[in-house]
Amino acid sequence: MFHWLEKNPFFFAVGVFLVISFAGLIEILPNFAEASRPVVGLKPYTVLELAGREVYKKDNCIACHSQLIRPFKAETDRYGQYSLSGEYAYDRPFLWGSKRTGPDLHRVGNYRTTDWHENHMWDPPSVVPGSIMPAYKHMFTNVADIETAYAEAVTVKNVFHTPYGDEFKGTRAAWEAHKPKVLADAKKIAADMKNKDVKEAVEAGKVPEIVALIAYLNRLK
Amino acid sequence: MNGLIAKALGFAAILIVATIVVVKKMNIDLSDPINIITVIGAIVIAGLTAGVSAKYISQMKSDTASGELADENWDGIGEYKNELPSGWAYSYLGTMIWALWYWTLGYPVNSFSQIGQWNEEVKAYNKKFESIHKNADKATLTAMGESIFLVQCAPCHGNTGDGLSGKAQDFTAGRLSKEQVLYVIKNGSNQLGYQMGAMPPMMAQGKDAEDIATYIANGMKGEQPAAFAACASCHGPDGTGMNGMAPNLKINDDTLVEHVIKHGKKGIIGRMPAFNDRMTPVQIKALATYIRTLRGE
Repeated sequence: MFHWLEKNPFFFAVGVFLVISFAGLIEILPNFAEASRPVVGLKPYTVLELAGREVYKKDNCIACHSQLIRPFKAETDRYGQYSLSGEYAYDRPFLWGSKRTGPDLHRVGNYRTTDWHENHMWDPPSVVPGSIMPAYKHMFTNVADIETAYAEAVTVKNVFHTPYGDEFKGTRAAWEAHKPKVLADAKKIAADMKNKDVKEAVEAGKVPEIVALIAYLNRLK
Repeated sequence: MNGLIAKALGFAAILIVATIVVVKKMNIDLSDPINIITVIGAIVIAGLTAGVSAKYISQMKSDTASGELADENWDGIGEYKNELPSGWAYSYLGTMIWALWYWTLGYPVNSFSQIGQWNEEVKAYNKKFESIHKNADKATLTAMGESIFLVQCAPCHGNTGDGLSGKAQDFTAGRLSKEQVLYVIKNGSNQLGYQMGAMPPMMAQGKDAEDIATYIANGMKGEQPAAFAACASCHGPDGTGMNGMAPNLKINDDTLVEHVIKHGKKGIIGRMPAFNDRMTPVQIKALATYIRTLRGE
């Protein structure tokens, strides 16, 4: 009866693919549509946090740190509430990671503070004896690219309708109007820090990478 | 008995003898059920291997081709039409029926939830944990508290609880340092959610504040300064916080640790985040017990 199928291997393969993917589609698509919506109360990243995310990517934190707490008791005991899909709705791309040389960071903002991060990024073994994490002293002098971070915010607003306000526009004037807000956020972080160079740089209207990164890490809750 | 079966029996016998030799040589304890099951398994496998091989080898020697050829023919290579094995056919039908159930009821109504499993697991564990440790003794609580401290607290307070040279509260020194007391007197405090409520700033000034700070920092030993009366109205005449109505100024008691864990604290050293919902009541008690042992209390 189906000999004609065996004689047409291409169409047979297409048929097999359709049949098999049908089951996948009805199970995956509805859940995916449901889960990719942002959880209630989730706000898009601020420009400073986006700049910190770029630092996180650039210095490859993802190589050793995950951002996904699985629903296992051992993990929720250590890292807090398990992660939900909707919490990553504004993550482009998500930074789940796949290897934990260091601990998970998805809720690090709940249990670490600005000054802890400052001590830790400057010299990790000083706060975690035996830590093999390298120091990231260059972050205290390198300046974060907040302008590109703003461009990123405008892009995801235009392309994916991420709910940034109407004032996010791709013009120089809009950026100049928004910049003081970013610097004010940076000042709040710097106020909890001790490093003099960082404080001076923020006063001078620059955002060292460490400030942006801490803003991002504090946001992970 | 033909030659083939004799060979198979011989082969099986060799395998069995080899098994027995190994058991003897290695002094394997056969009273252990796992070992005896393994030995029996080895003997059965030897017998089956020999028997099945003998069957098929003899069949290959005597079998001739029979049956009806299928229409397809590939360069002279044909295929017999075989009846569908009945076991296979019935399981195929069974799978189809199961698939209908799975599509309509099994998946939508009855699907597995990892979160649900987590909820049940955690609920059951916490219940068991609380009942086991309801009346735990001090040694158990201290050991439990230490393990919690090393995971949750040590990154800031240090593995020994010394606060890493001023980066966090030092549990090995006194309950409060002089600077801490002066800071709280100057700024007041309304962070820990005690029943007594907010502590207003500037309850004492100048030398009075200095006297109070020195007295508290020294562990409330010696003569109580007169100015302490301002503190005593809430923290109690002995500074222990009137049974949990206000923070204990003398030791890190259970109530104090519980309130700090729940609300976090921002003081002269820096900010400690809240660890709300991260520990059960028994764990908080254990943590408090361990923190007190750091100062030999």
